[in-house]
Amino acid sequence: MWNKSLLFVLLIFSSTFVKGQGCAINISGKVVDVNDGSPLEIVNIYVKEIETGTYTDINGEFAIDNICPGSYHFIFSHVGCNSKEMFLEVKFDTTLIVDMDHNGQHLNEVLLRGRRETSTTQKSEIIKQQLVLDNANEDLTTLISALAGVNALKNGSGISKPIVQGLYGNRLTILNNGIPQSGQQWGNDHSPEIDPLSANQIRVVKGAATVEYMGPNMGSVVSVEPKMIDKDPHLHGRVTYLFNTNGRGHSTNANLQKYSNKFAWQLNATYKRNGDKKAPNYLLNNTGNQEANITFQLNKSFSTKLNTDLYFSSFNSILGILRGAHLGNINDLTEAFRREEPFFTEPTFSYHIDAPRQSVSHNLLKLHSKYFVDNNRFWDFTIASQINDRNEYDVRRSGRSDIPALSLLQYSHFVEAKYQWERSDNINFKSGIQFNVTDNTNRPETGILPLIPDYRSYESGLYFFLSKKLNNSMLEGGIRYSNVMIQALTITNDIPRKIERYDRNFNNLSGSIGWKYPLSSPFTISCNLGYAQRNPAVNELYSRGLHQGVSGIEQGNVNLLSEQSLKSTLVLNGKVNKTFSFELTGYYQSINDYIYLQPTDELRLTIRGAFPVFEYRQDDASILGFDFSGLIDIGYNINLTTKISFLRGDNISQNTPLVYMPSNNALTGISYEYPRTIQLFNGRLNRLQFAFNHQIVLRQKHLLSTQDIIPTPEGYQLFNFELSTNFQIKHLSLRFISKIENIANVKYRDYLNRQRYFADDLGRSVIFGLTLKF
Amino acid sequence: MIKRNLFSIVIVLFLLNSCDKKDPIIPNEEEVITTLNFTLTDNTGKQVVMQFKDLNGGVNPIIKGGKLDSNTLYMATLVLLNELGTPIKDITEEILSEGVDHQFFFESTVMGMTIAYNDVDDNLQPIGVKALVSTQDAGVGTLKITLRHQPDKSAVGVLNGMIDNAGGETDLEVIFDVNVE
Repeated sequence: MWNKSLLFVLLIFSSTFVKGQGCAINISGKVVDVNDGSPLEIVNIYVKEIETGTYTDINGEFAIDNICPGSYHFIFSHVGCNSKEMFLEVKFDTTLIVDMDHNGQHLNEVLLRGRRETSTTQKSEIIKQQLVLDNANEDLTTLISALAGVNALKNGSGISKPIVQGLYGNRLTILNNGIPQSGQQWGNDHSPEIDPLSANQIRVVKGAATVEYMGPNMGSVVSVEPKMIDKDPHLHGRVTYLFNTNGRGHSTNANLQKYSNKFAWQLNATYKRNGDKKAPNYLLNNTGNQEANITFQLNKSFSTKLNTDLYFSSFNSILGILRGAHLGNINDLTEAFRREEPFFTEPTFSYHIDAPRQSVSHNLLKLHSKYFVDNNRFWDFTIASQINDRNEYDVRRSGRSDIPALSLLQYSHFVEAKYQWERSDNINFKSGIQFNVTDNTNRPETGILPLIPDYRSYESGLYFFLSKKLNNSMLEGGIRYSNVMIQALTITNDIPRKIERYDRNFNNLSGSIGWKYPLSSPFTISCNLGYAQRNPAVNELYSRGLHQGVSGIEQGNVNLLSEQSLKSTLVLNGKVNKTFSFELTGYYQSINDYIYLQPTDELRLTIRGAFPVFEYRQDDASILGFDFSGLIDIGYNINLTTKISFLRGDNISQNTPLVYMPSNNALTGISYEYPRTIQLFNGRLNRLQFAFNHQIVLRQKHLLSTQDIIPTPEGYQLFNFELSTNFQIKHLSLRFISKIENIANVKYRDYLNRQRYFADDLGRSVIFGLTLKF
Repeated sequence: MIKRNLFSIVIVLFLLNSCDKKDPIIPNEEEVITTLNFTLTDNTGKQVVMQFKDLNGGVNPIIKGGKLDSNTLYMATLVLLNELGTPIKDITEEILSEGVDHQFFFESTVMGMTIAYNDVDDNLQPIGVKALVSTQDAGVGTLKITLRHQPDKSAVGVLNGMIDNAGGETDLEVIFDVNVE
């Protein structure tokens, strides 16, 4: 993966009023580095409407003289920063002060947006929109796995879920536009149903405990945040198209937006289609996918105090699963692993998606209002509903392949009220209450006893959060209480079938404290400590039956208790000088009563053969790790970046490793950016960049041979290349991107990809992309 | 005002929701195979029936092997049943109607015991619902019967009943104790 995401901090402008004088208005300004206030030289400023541009001088200053009153779009671009557009209604002589983040690139620090969001001591990293668009063919998980400490738990190439500092599934909160994503997160083969192309940024919080959000607050949060509509009265849009050779995939995304005093709107649509992917030596039949998503956002300011927005998103995907990965019993699995090529491998490429496949649709409707009591206090109200419809198709007899083998319909409704007060004594207070109800129903037409029961769960939560800035340091603390009621209806396995009702009630308490302190310049240190409780999820309590995902019979345990987690994180951040900056995060999480699926000694002899029986158990566990990111500017516009992740998970009670923990890995990159703008066909070509990177994933050795049916795969190394540039011509701005992934066409298997039992991972892919903005 | 109305609508929705969730509909498991009967008939009409009956998903299945005579040729027939509902459903027909997508495999550890296919699918390739079982010397061992869905019948040895290269997924896999006397 590529990460050349660069931060651009929005601009603050001040106007000085001199009387307007026809077409003799002067625009002047200064561009500074947001990190230290130093002036930035050779920043290109281009005014679309008059097709005129200029550069900042050695003092970071610029001037554009003699322009007429009117509306103008300014584009600021600078080597190493993302160019940004700004709309300005020009009536008088105006002075602009623009902040650009020149030095903080690659480190993905928290971005402060406007006056309303306050900083926190918790560590978070951001994937910016540019990176999302450059990787329009990728899913959410793959995008964020570019960050240190984030990995993907995969099932083939199309299905993947994020692992953040060793936490995933039931232990990871995923927010879609502020709403906790409600779907079938329990399944290791269930991707989060969110279109990353709807996001302006994707934020990954690698905290100790997060008290503000509903759901499992074990520390880490993935938040997909859509773009705020720009205050620009003209219709603006963006179209992105990407082609990838591996899978012959097409990805298209379009965005339209318009602002007016009455209301603002934004529309975003995505369509993707891939055919069979290819491993270096053979085709991976039936691994195509198709996705069609739309989001619509309406924003209305009723007054300067009340702002309301309505957000709708619909995510729809069909995902093919490698035909040779479909199993009858566990002997099929060991047999599949012995083979050089998976069963059912055929040389003919196809876009067709047959069983086994998943078909998922997720819809979200959100109404949100923000009411400012005064400049420093506001209320925030949200109501949201989600419908998650998941159908999974297996290869079945007598035409039943078209009847889902798993069919789940889930509704959830969420209400939240928040209050925030930024006091003049540098104290920031936040508090909120939340309520959520989730209703999950199996459709009986599957003809198969459900693995997950029908259930309804109610969660209510209350939190308080306080932070204080003291000179340069910052202190914060928060506490959360939540109550979870689960009502489940299971169907017994014995004949005659009976329905059993279960009710459980959980009280979860969590809290966090944090401290961020600038050590002697240039180092900053932040420490966080968090305690969290997570109640067992429905699958952990009540699942029963054959689970293809584990090739065994899975048995929930109705007596499970809540997990208790204590996590500490320590982040050391340093901008040593203009040429070297780094960030080191260390964390240790101890989870008591950690819930995990353990194979028992029992082999159940069914008519389909013998199946291992898996049971949910609880033990004490620990996860220890560190993430490092570093950037060296070696001059000549060449940057070196590196990211290293180390993680070790242990079951302390049994003295065994934890399964599905990411193996240690490192990503090293070198990039070059041509520092000048090139004049080409009346247009301007800039930000011409080349990047080359090397990824190394070590073998997961911290696992006992009894913990997997087959040995863990060998480590591997991949090489990738990227070329990108921007082209500005009149009102259009174009961006070209070209990539080669897995250049050497290396044959490899990854421990975190379940398809490793059956087939090699993806071979080389060449990608071409184009984004047009108007 | 609008907001207040919306809120009250939501609250009403929650109240409506908060009554007990109604019972799930128990799915009709028509695809399940609960029972395999392997009937062997010698030329005098004497029958031996081996049976695997699994009604509770692997909890206490009935497994009944058989005693065969030495140096005897048997006509063998497989019958698959779904005994979960009433009436009992014969699944064998489903297998036969999709014969090209199914094949049984027989593996015996009894010395001299051989099993040959005695039926064909639409492509004139074996299915294995009908078979010829012949015994030689007396001996004790097991007979494993496997049903594969969508096997590769053209792979090496598959037509002769070798399972190793067959692929597909296992729909049935049972092992019987066999005593040749």
